[in-house]
Amino acid sequence: MSIKTFQPLHLLERWVQENNELVNKWKQQVGGGDTLGRDQSQTHLRCCSSEFHKLLMKIQGIPPLADHTQLELTVVYNACVCFTAQSQFSEAELLLTQSTERVLQVHSTSTEDDPAASDPHLFWRTVLKSVGNTALAPCVLRLLCLQWAIWLSTCQLKTIQEFQNELMSVFERLSTEVWDKGRKSSDDPLLVMDPRKLVELLQICTYIAQGAESLSEGQSSEALSALHTASSLPAPRTLIAYTHLLSGSCLAHMGRPQMALQCYRKALETDRRCLCALYRSMLIYRQLGNTQAEIQALRLLHSTLMLPSATEPPLAGTPLLSPSLLLCSQSLSSMLSVPSALSILHNLALKCVLHGRVSEGVEYYLDLLAALQSEDQHGMHAGSPPLPRLPELYLQAGAALLMAQRPADCVALCDEVITTTLELLPERVVLEEPDEECEAGSRALSGGGEDRVGMLLWTAAAYLLHGHCNTHLKDWKQAVTHYARCFNLLVKVRLKKRGFQPQIPSADMVGKQGTDLCILQRLKGLSLAGRGISFTQTDQLREALRDLQLSLQAFPECATAGLWCGEVLWRLGRRREAAACWENTWSFTPQSSEELEFDILITAK
Amino acid sequence: MDHGCAMDGRCAVETCAEFGFAGTSCTPRIRCGFGTDVFLCTGSDEAYVFSPQERKLKTVLQCPGPVSDLVVSHDKQRLYVACRSGVYCVGSQLLLSRVKGSPADASSGPSELKISSESLVVAEEGVLSLLLVGSVLVTLSQRDASWMLTLYKSSNYEKLCSFSQVSGDVNTEEKTEIRRSPVLICVHSRDATPSPSSSNSSSDEAPTQGHFHLDSVLFKLLFGVDVALAKSPVILCGLPDGCVCFVPLRLPGSRLRVLHSLEQPVVFVGSSGPGRCLVAVGELGRVVLMKADKGGSAEGRGNVFIEGCVPGPVVCGCVDKNTVYYSTGSDLLLLDLSEGKSGEEGQGKDEETRRKMDAALQSPTSLNVCRVVALAPPTCNTAAAGVVELLGLSVRGQLQRIRLPVRTEDSRLSSGSDSQVGRSVRDLLSSIGDVCERASVLKTSIKSKNQILQHLNQVLNISFLLMAGANGAEHPPLQESPIRCRASTSWSRLLQEDSLTLTCVLDNSSAYVLERGWTLSITVFPLCPSPSAGGENLSTNFSFPFQSLHPGETLDVSLPLAAAGESSFPVTVSCSLLFSLTSLLGEEAANLPALQSSCISLPLNTLTVDWLHALQVSSSKAAQEKITPHATDAIEAFLRSHRIRCGGNAEGGGESGLKYSASVRVSAELLRDTLMVAKSSDLDPAKTAPENVCLSLLEWLLSEGPGGVTTGQKEDQIALRGSVVHAQSLNRHAVKLTAKEVNVGVEESLNTVEVQVHSSSLAAVCGLHHAVLRRVQTLLQRAPERAASTKRVQSLGLREALQRAEHLLQQIQQSRVSGVFSGGASTEQMSRTLLDVYRELRENPLLII
Repeated sequence: MSIKTFQPLHLLERWVQENNELVNKWKQQVGGGDTLGRDQSQTHLRCCSSEFHKLLMKIQGIPPLADHTQLELTVVYNACVCFTAQSQFSEAELLLTQSTERVLQVHSTSTEDDPAASDPHLFWRTVLKSVGNTALAPCVLRLLCLQWAIWLSTCQLKTIQEFQNELMSVFERLSTEVWDKGRKSSDDPLLVMDPRKLVELLQICTYIAQGAESLSEGQSSEALSALHTASSLPAPRTLIAYTHLLSGSCLAHMGRPQMALQCYRKALETDRRCLCALYRSMLIYRQLGNTQAEIQALRLLHSTLMLPSATEPPLAGTPLLSPSLLLCSQSLSSMLSVPSALSILHNLALKCVLHGRVSEGVEYYLDLLAALQSEDQHGMHAGSPPLPRLPELYLQAGAALLMAQRPADCVALCDEVITTTLELLPERVVLEEPDEECEAGSRALSGGGEDRVGMLLWTAAAYLLHGHCNTHLKDWKQAVTHYARCFNLLVKVRLKKRGFQPQIPSADMVGKQGTDLCILQRLKGLSLAGRGISFTQTDQLREALRDLQLSLQAFPECATAGLWCGEVLWRLGRRREAAACWENTWSFTPQSSEELEFDILITAK
Repeated sequence: MDHGCAMDGRCAVETCAEFGFAGTSCTPRIRCGFGTDVFLCTGSDEAYVFSPQERKLKTVLQCPGPVSDLVVSHDKQRLYVACRSGVYCVGSQLLLSRVKGSPADASSGPSELKISSESLVVAEEGVLSLLLVGSVLVTLSQRDASWMLTLYKSSNYEKLCSFSQVSGDVNTEEKTEIRRSPVLICVHSRDATPSPSSSNSSSDEAPTQGHFHLDSVLFKLLFGVDVALAKSPVILCGLPDGCVCFVPLRLPGSRLRVLHSLEQPVVFVGSSGPGRCLVAVGELGRVVLMKADKGGSAEGRGNVFIEGCVPGPVVCGCVDKNTVYYSTGSDLLLLDLSEGKSGEEGQGKDEETRRKMDAALQSPTSLNVCRVVALAPPTCNTAAAGVVELLGLSVRGQLQRIRLPVRTEDSRLSSGSDSQVGRSVRDLLSSIGDVCERASVLKTSIKSKNQILQHLNQVLNISFLLMAGANGAEHPPLQESPIRCRASTSWSRLLQEDSLTLTCVLDNSSAYVLERGWTLSITVFPLCPSPSAGGENLSTNFSFPFQSLHPGETLDVSLPLAAAGESSFPVTVSCSLLFSLTSLLGEEAANLPALQSSCISLPLNTLTVDWLHALQVSSSKAAQEKITPHATDAIEAFLRSHRIRCGGNAEGGGESGLKYSASVRVSAELLRDTLMVAKSSDLDPAKTAPENVCLSLLEWLLSEGPGGVTTGQKEDQIALRGSVVHAQSLNRHAVKLTAKEVNVGVEESLNTVEVQVHSSSLAAVCGLHHAVLRRVQTLLQRAPERAASTKRVQSLGLREALQRAEHLLQQIQQSRVSGVFSGGASTEQMSRTLLDVYRELRENPLLII
């Protein structure tokens, strides 16, 4: 190092200086500008990487010199870190291998085992061997680290697995390496990212990614042990929480829900922003049938999601290569995903209403509707379980309002749905009997892409609810009108079976629960029953009897219709028939009518 | 020019201001600003604030990069400017204070406001379009191969969310200089309450630019029930790749979806027919109307897409209540999309609407304003009631106020005068300026038509002239038609072959010009069909197209008449003029096959070239004596001499070999009267010796010809070599022409000149004799009428001559009779008899007095 010609020395110094200036500038920007938007930091990163690349071009512009090697490899490291941070993996990889080869040409004593770039394992093994324990070793190890990061980011877990031993040794060497503070001077080229931090990050991210992978492949117990080791590694809290979360998932998968809940709790304790742990706990409570706990978890989840900081955890001092960049496998991201706040809110409201906490549920429904109408809601969060269609939400909320003794509010919602859909309703609609295999495609889509049968059922259900509200208010005349409207809409539907002409469906055609046909028949039955009851109240017994009997024909399981039918028969003095009717009705499982209605509305899509 | 009917009256175009603007990188835009002010961005670094009312440029905004779009917040408090580097925000106080700050020097010019990087609010690169919806700022930019629609909160510029759409093939886009910016608008459902921030403004009709209201049914049909229930506005973008995409502003889980694809860059999207129709127009003229169908069908209501095409490229456009205005760059056009007043119901209504729309698309109304590259919708400016006023930006950077003529439904005719009353001279001038360009095109076409008419006039004049000449030719002895042909013959020697060339001269002595399109056509055919050709009429046709022949000019053309030793003389040369109609109409007509053959053919005069014309007079004495043909024909000469010797018909060379002869006698007095009188001007009377008569006759025979054909021999070649001319005939036999004075008659001798033709070839003798007779005939026609003394004629032994003729007639009849009876065997004998008769006739000619 002492004998150098003047010119290269000068150049070397200048390049080192340039590199260090760039690194310092970067650190200043990142350190000083927490408030920088993501876009701006991206722009800055792009600029930085191009600067490093330019510098590298200059250095590589002259033939490789032994004295320049360290600087050159450092600049390669810096440039590659920047490239990788921008997800330009192929560029980074190319730069890595080419530069390493170039440098090794100078140093390697034996040129015959020229590293074949096609096989990365062979290449890096050769590189490691030829470098040995020289002063160059740390530089080369750093580059290998980057290669590791690239493999991880591109989800080449198999490659990492096969190279595990070498990588572990890299980890050992880099993490234990004591940096000679005394030798460090301004002459030494600086690095944009501390390789020790990088290697630690890589280590735990590898564990997490591998754990997620084996979990998705169903090898839970193997994953569990690896995750256990990972949880004790020095790492950011977020990542440790991930290990707990994954362990919990493994346990849940292995059929140990209580232990899984423990793990989720640990994950939440480690990092309170780990919402997926909360979500997973909620799922386990649901699985266990612990409704109260489930509702509690949902409520917690929702309120956490509504916190401003919840959506984007600001990682303090985010390293250039963030965990999110390194952990991008499909299986992991699906495991970490949490439904949107609106979806959680809907779940919460539904659960409350279904489990007897109607007034609470109504409040949640109203919150949900308000959120949907609000100015601040902006079509984001294409959550994995999408919200039900808005008319359904409205009807659910309406039913909840009715259950909470607020018929006027329910009427408002029903009117909203009716005015929206009524103009678009077809004169006649043909419901094709769904085949077993293609149930999803059974809906006849109109030109506008709207589900016409669905739209008709929405409107009919809205009329039915309206009628119920009128019944509730004892406005029998109005009730008859709305039930009749509901029924009149429903008879527009013709069923088309394969090979037959479209016909009016009847009760015996209902094959499966939950299909459009089933809902159609139930709505028919309920609307007729409702009208029958209204007629009974106004003493139009003949009409009442006709409607109630028709209702029982359309939907034999309708207990209300059966009971009222008996009542009407009794009043008409047909006592024996009445008794038979009641008897017949009691043989069905008793179900409160309100619950049934809500059930229908919920299953109405 | 099939732009349908023009509107009655014309647009008043008033140039408000000029912004010099060079080629820009993106579509220029006009945006509404504070109050009645408008903002202009032309793609340069500057944006302008202009007040149409004060007609004055108020402020120039200087931005850090090319401005692509501008938008004013609903409360008119902020102005957002999209530049290359991001979106900048300027408070209106700043703008207004600049404007109002210096009322004193208001006349001095616009104030300047520099937008610094401090006012950068959204650091998104390459924002192409901006839109404000309530408190949301929407930007549209292009990243690599996809479009990014990003929503920002306008209070703190927090990014709310973004949608991306992979851009399709941007066809045609690469070629043009100007990159078309995407269109960004917001659509509200009509029954939906507008966003609270804009609710204080009038919410019924499109309160701000870029916001449209649609009927709720159409809205639901296009965007779905959920969007309607959520009362969410919908952001629509028309992209340069032809897609019209939409995304609901407030609906969880929504994506950017394609509503329709125009397959050509979208120029604008808007709603018309107040809210009943969504209109999208593409760059190449495709128009898509999206309407809700009227229902009544069993299928339920659906939306109808009516696609059509309007002529011409669409540069920019805007939409008013029922009207779409668009500019093709050369004209501003108006599409009327109103459906008429007939009711909404009716079964076949949709079909009818469709037909009506198709018809409407086919016939846009021209407004006669050209070069408009940006338009602001009429709602932008507060115009007087009933008057529609548009703001347009011309390609030269002129901001124009375009006031449409008033349209009243009933009185289309009378309304024009009213609107013209209040117009100032300046309005007229500027609209004239717009019409000027269109007029110049018309002018050139009219000019060319005029030229064609002039040309045709000339042609007709010439035709009538020549036709008159042809008709009148029967009565007077063709006293020259002003356009005619002359000709001269000459022998030339080419490739050791002598050939006779005829040079025709077309002489235009008329007052008209023979212009482009005329062709001189010359047909040459023998007077009598040669026996060798088997009686076929061997006519040859020559055509000479020429460019123009002015009065007094001549046109010389040469054509080969015969090679030596060929052809049957005399020949008739018939000249005519052809005119083809295709040349009249130019290139366009050249493609029509029907026109190719149509032409006018006008006969000129007919010339005769006889043996005399074709004579090759030997020039020197030696040649005369030798008489042998040219040295090169030695072999032929040898062969001939050999043949003669063999035939035993010894000619012995020299003149003794000229065994055939014929003679013509003309009275010397006649000759003197005609030839010498003609020459008397240059010949002194003393020279009128008998010798001279002979000489001048020969001279005349050899040089001049009747009917305009002359021999090309030079004077000195034939000059005065005594009364004997040796020459070579057409068929290369030696010929001797002699002229001498003889006295005929017993008592009173009449002084006559006898022209004798001697040759070894009978054909030559016959031909020459015929030629000489023909010439003399013309001479007779020229001769002054004079009472010939019958006494003298009698004394010339007329009786004797008659007897001889009778005798000859008898001989001919005898030979005919014998020929008939004796069959083919005696043909030889018969022809000999006939030849004898002929010789007899020729050797004792009748005297021509």
